[in-house]
Amino acid sequence: MSEFAVRNRIREFRQSRAEMTQASLAAACGVTRQTIIALEAGKYAPSLELAFKLARALERNLEEVFQYAEKI
Amino acid sequence: MTKIQRRAQVLLAMAALGAAGMFLGPDGWFGIDIGAIGAAVLYGVLWLFVIYLAKYSGQVFPEHWSPAEKQSWVAVAFLALISLHVANMLFALPGLGEAADQVKNPATRALWSNLGLLIFGWIVIGTQLRRQDTGGVQLDERDLRIQHRAARVADGAMSLFIVWVIVTIFALPEQSRSWLRPMIVANALIALLIARALIESIYTVWRYRRHDGRQDGHAEGREEGRDPA
Repeated sequence: MSEFAVRNRIREFRQSRAEMTQASLAAACGVTRQTIIALEAGKYAPSLELAFKLARALERNLEEVFQYAEKI
Repeated sequence: MTKIQRRAQVLLAMAALGAAGMFLGPDGWFGIDIGAIGAAVLYGVLWLFVIYLAKYSGQVFPEHWSPAEKQSWVAVAFLALISLHVANMLFALPGLGEAADQVKNPATRALWSNLGLLIFGWIVIGTQLRRQDTGGVQLDERDLRIQHRAARVADGAMSLFIVWVIVTIFALPEQSRSWLRPMIVANALIALLIARALIESIYTVWRYRRHDGRQDGHAEGREEGRDPA
């Protein structure tokens, strides 16, 4: 049986932007810093709304930030 | 772990010791009432903890815990204490015979004041925690998802338990059901609601622990310190 996962590059894009901490990204998206930690660690898949907010805050396209990967 | 967190742990350990003495300690051990001493220790330490939390707000809990996670741990602690009080009362009721049918009886004498104190302490600590994160997000979609899952688990557990109780009661011989008095059943239903809330809280903190991944949290906390502010 195959298993699906959503991977992300939030940490990479956040670190590439000067002055953007986990706390400031969290504030921009209206979530707690702990949620950003969980997202960056790949322990939490966000809702579509939060995914759009994150992409917008990082000034990237949604598919740049999130990848749909298939795990066998 | 910081010095403030270690002191908070000592206070919690003392509260647990007091609770153990209160619920399990004998009344007359060399003429000493361990139950009363345990109760005094438990409630004294709880109020010390409230003062400690007010003085060192924001530093008592680990920094990488979310506001909702802190509230869940507080809920587990207070619901466990409330459950112990109610369970203690429930075990004492069948031995009272007809007196168990009265609203005020020896088993419930101190219960309501103790429950009142616990609920008041819970409200005070909850309010202090909410004040720490003023202006920040208290509850986000991850918290809500965990809470919804915990509610489903608690509902499922309660449904299974109710079915088990019904089957057990019907399986008992008639003479063995004499202790099933109306007030005992009423109190058992209250206990069931409290147990449901406790299961929900325990499942919630378990999900947070699993979800956060403690090592990731610590590593990220360190990384956050290096990030530009």
